[in-house]
Amino acid sequence: MAAPVSNSSGCWGVPEVYKHHEQRKVCISRPKYREGRNAKAVKVYTINLESRYLMVQGVPAIGVMTELIQLCALYGAVEEYRPLDEYPAEEFTEVYLVKFQKLTSARAAKRRMDEKSFYGGVLHVCYVPEYETVEDTRLKLQDRRRYILRAVHNKAKEKEQKETAEKEPTMSSSDTATTSERIVMRHDKASDDDNTGEASNVSKHPSFPPLPLPPREYNYYGHKTQHGTVSTEDKMGTLHNAIIVTKQQPAPSSSSSQTSSDGHKGAKHRLTSKPSVVRFVPRSTNLENRKRKMDEAAGHSLDRCY
Amino acid sequence: MWRKDSAESSDRFEYLQTLVTEFQDTDSEEAKEQVLANLANFAYDPKNMDYLKELQVTDLFLDMLTEENENFVEFGMGGLCNLSMDPECRDIILQSSGISLVTNLLSSRREETVLSAITILMNLTKPSSRSEITDPAILQCMLRFSLSESPRLRNLAAVFLQDYCTEEQVAQAEQQMKGQQTAVGIPLPEDSS
Repeated sequence: MAAPVSNSSGCWGVPEVYKHHEQRKVCISRPKYREGRNAKAVKVYTINLESRYLMVQGVPAIGVMTELIQLCALYGAVEEYRPLDEYPAEEFTEVYLVKFQKLTSARAAKRRMDEKSFYGGVLHVCYVPEYETVEDTRLKLQDRRRYILRAVHNKAKEKEQKETAEKEPTMSSSDTATTSERIVMRHDKASDDDNTGEASNVSKHPSFPPLPLPPREYNYYGHKTQHGTVSTEDKMGTLHNAIIVTKQQPAPSSSSSQTSSDGHKGAKHRLTSKPSVVRFVPRSTNLENRKRKMDEAAGHSLDRCY
Repeated sequence: MWRKDSAESSDRFEYLQTLVTEFQDTDSEEAKEQVLANLANFAYDPKNMDYLKELQVTDLFLDMLTEENENFVEFGMGGLCNLSMDPECRDIILQSSGISLVTNLLSSRREETVLSAITILMNLTKPSSRSEITDPAILQCMLRFSLSESPRLRNLAAVFLQDYCTEEQVAQAEQQMKGQQTAVGIPLPEDSS
């Protein structure tokens, strides 16, 4: 259950203003061909800069902490959060530390919430890896390695399958074979968004095929990030309509959720997408959710999941 | 403007190729930095790794490590940090004396560069490279880092020492460090350990 944390463990100690928290000036000199839709600063993202911990600045000091955390929870389960009173903040704003259960959630939340307006203020969201414990860092690196190796493994398998298919006599021209080899991975836009994060400086808002909007409590991570832009921005100023959470569903182990969230990456085979994050879900809507899930599972092919 | 709505991976390859070409052709330091950062960020997504390998971007990043421009170094290191978890890229880096190039940068004054260096060394570790990577000099460096004020540096160094070295190796490095200190003529207090 996500709850405000009392300042007990070392990682929740007094923060310092680190250079990587600062917004860099946006780069204005890019040639057109590599100008993204959004102006971006020149910055390289590595696993060391990303983190499950996010810092959110610019939150209007009007008592909207709950709304902020609900907004964050759209992108994935929030494990812990607290205000960072000791961090320098602009007048009439607050700063919050938010710890997500998964790095991919933090990544999505950062991308979607950064520079967005929120109750009259503008949020600045950044990773704060300095709040990690040694174990956090270790797990982060291990998860990343596992993810890469799985992607490599899947690619190798795909190549093998293609080569086997090509050997069959029913295969047509060699031209097809050549081009099909080049097309190693299908471009999964949602997964690009989720997992490249800042990795692509090009076009950050791909157009998605129209999908019926699932309810916001819906667990499918990919769906969330797709319609997240829509419902999030709709809800930003009107979060008083959001359902206040009283209960969370238990999440499966992190390795399986990792599998279901990252295993789609470009791989042809589909893993069943299960609800993989702990969610703020009020008791009263659980029945409705189950019903919707059944309906939607029948309707969707879940091809937009990350 | 290049748009990402095509599902054709050849578009992505061509785009990356254009980036590499711009990097090689342009005289503008600023443009080079932007492109380098761009490529390093693309290297974060394993989907791009095949193309980047084909375009020999690993070598491009390695070339940056001896540049004077600290941004070039930092971005190149970031790119290698992103690529080096891929086994093929790891081997390319190893074959190009990557360990010594990266180790040199442990003394960089740019924190991101140092963090990338530690991560790359971890990624480069395999049975054949382990002894080089756990060289006492490197371990001593990590020991110093583990006492740093920077939490990120401390954490990475701690993971390195705990997961990539044996306890004996770490103890030996600690001893050597103490030995160096006492050699200056300033004995350490008895209970300093």
